[in-house]
Amino acid sequence: MQKIELTTILASAIHESKNQLGSLLYQLEALKRLELGSEGKKTLTKIEEGMKQLNDEWVEYLYLYRLASDGYDVNYDSHALEEFLDDQVFALKPSAMAKELSLTYKADDMLTAVFDERLMTAVVSTAVYNALRFAKSKIEINATMEDSYLIISIEDDGKGFTANDEKVDDMLFTTNTGLGLYFAELSAEAHSIEDRKGVIKKLKSERLGGAKLAIYIPQ
Amino acid sequence: MNKPNFSDKKALLIEDMAEARIMQKKMLNDFGFKSIEIAMKAESAIELLRSHSYDVILSDYNLGNGKDGQQLLEEVRHSHLIPNTSTYLMVTAETSTEMVMGAIEYAPDGYITKPFSQAMLERRLLKLMENKELLIKVNKALDANDYDTAIQEAKVVANKHPALQSRCQRIIGDALISLERYQEALDVFVESRKDSKMPWAVFGEAKCHYFLNNIDKAEAKFRQLTLDNKFFVSAYDWLAKTLVKKGELDSAQAVLVDAVSRSPKNLMRQIELGKLSLEVNDNLMAEMSFRRAVFLAKHSCFNEAEVYLQHMASIVALAREGEIPSRQVDNFQTTLSKVHQNFFNSPEVRSEAYLLEMELYSALGDKKTMNQIEEVLNHDIESGQAAPLSATSKRRIDQIKSLK
Repeated sequence: MQKIELTTILASAIHESKNQLGSLLYQLEALKRLELGSEGKKTLTKIEEGMKQLNDEWVEYLYLYRLASDGYDVNYDSHALEEFLDDQVFALKPSAMAKELSLTYKADDMLTAVFDERLMTAVVSTAVYNALRFAKSKIEINATMEDSYLIISIEDDGKGFTANDEKVDDMLFTTNTGLGLYFAELSAEAHSIEDRKGVIKKLKSERLGGAKLAIYIPQ
Repeated sequence: MNKPNFSDKKALLIEDMAEARIMQKKMLNDFGFKSIEIAMKAESAIELLRSHSYDVILSDYNLGNGKDGQQLLEEVRHSHLIPNTSTYLMVTAETSTEMVMGAIEYAPDGYITKPFSQAMLERRLLKLMENKELLIKVNKALDANDYDTAIQEAKVVANKHPALQSRCQRIIGDALISLERYQEALDVFVESRKDSKMPWAVFGEAKCHYFLNNIDKAEAKFRQLTLDNKFFVSAYDWLAKTLVKKGELDSAQAVLVDAVSRSPKNLMRQIELGKLSLEVNDNLMAEMSFRRAVFLAKHSCFNEAEVYLQHMASIVALAREGEIPSRQVDNFQTTLSKVHQNFFNSPEVRSEAYLLEMELYSALGDKKTMNQIEEVLNHDIESGQAAPLSATSKRRIDQIKSLK
């Protein structure tokens, strides 16, 4: 048999699976319309959150494939950070609530910046899903502008990057492959202005005491 | 400002897959829209948009075998079937998001990626409608082609709402281009871009340079856009236009060939490529492009006789070059019969079609058929069904008759 480009095949397989998951999620919407007891509702929410997380992870892998194979064109546009983070929190809040964690954001009303919205959406959700596994009670997302860099940071009150032993978790996914961080790094680097490139920094959260992932995007 | 709500709004849902269509219809129903109409493909959506107006259009990117959602959007925007005051939300899959976002010239107001929940769709629609509400004076002015007012109002909105500043800058820049105030437009685009590579601002800059005759700058910027955004096919069109202005017709044609291979279903681009190919005497390419254009024109807003006549003209040009295979004569006849069906009530089109047919048979060396067609033409002119021959047309007839 001829040798084949396995990564490409895997990427399209993931894509197929993601689409099937999408149609399952549609069917779940129909289920949500039925009268379910509180136990049933709780289980349904858990399944939905798990599936959404799985969907987001596959999206991350697809972007990762494109970024790593130089096949991704960054779509630069100007965005208001207040709006952008509000969208992220809206999408991720149910996952946080299912784990009884608070998820909030802070950004100046006037703050706007240029970046690829889809890519940064995937980065923020990856970082938040990661934080969900370690946070004790809260996760915060912040956006600021410093020295012509937009900084989006995701902080939690867990043990921080140095002591990331796995917490027992009743959600569906617990393994940590480090792919998430690699993805965040490639996404940040994909943003460039002249010779300035984006970076990520793994820090300790001064405010919450846990981990802080900061994504720097040049402006 | 009143918070927007759905109860006085009309929606159009365009989705080819039954399952998704039923689900989205249910969601829109729950939001309380006054009415919801449904199209299963782009062609039927165009029919609906011709006769109705909608406040919200929710269209899938993927619409099966016909046109996709982006082509639909470009066509209806181009022919002003959707006012700027309506909200166009595109439903995309993760992979098509890039193509939608890459189409910078005709962008939807927003997009939502599958899968999405009811709550997510509601939120997205409300947000977009709220923005439309804020921009209502701007959009009404744009719909009335009143660009001065649009610029004034956009400045007011930009001052009040920093989140809409970038959108307003873009509207102002484009409006200044429409007013042919290119230097001012250029300043707006440069100012909003700063150092970034925001494609709409680079695109605006490049267009201004084109109009200001800074051809080299325009060329460099359009080229950069094609490199940075492979789905931004309009940049190829403009690059080709720039090269034409520069007199480099062959390179312009090569750029369009590349663009057509990226998005073969774009009618206007096929026509452009056809015209350019005729100019550089690449009649084979011209015939191919016009044949595709004829095929695409049928279900589009630009179904005009001109496309068909040009296809016929390209086959005449081929026949004059040398012997042509009989299938080209068939192609000519097929297109001619479409002209018969659709455009023969126009006397001008009728004359031109007969004239082209005469030219073809002259080039094929079939004088007998040519003379028969001339008789029919003269008969139709007498009865008033065909337009009297213009000076140029007479010259064309003299020319083919003088040949042996």
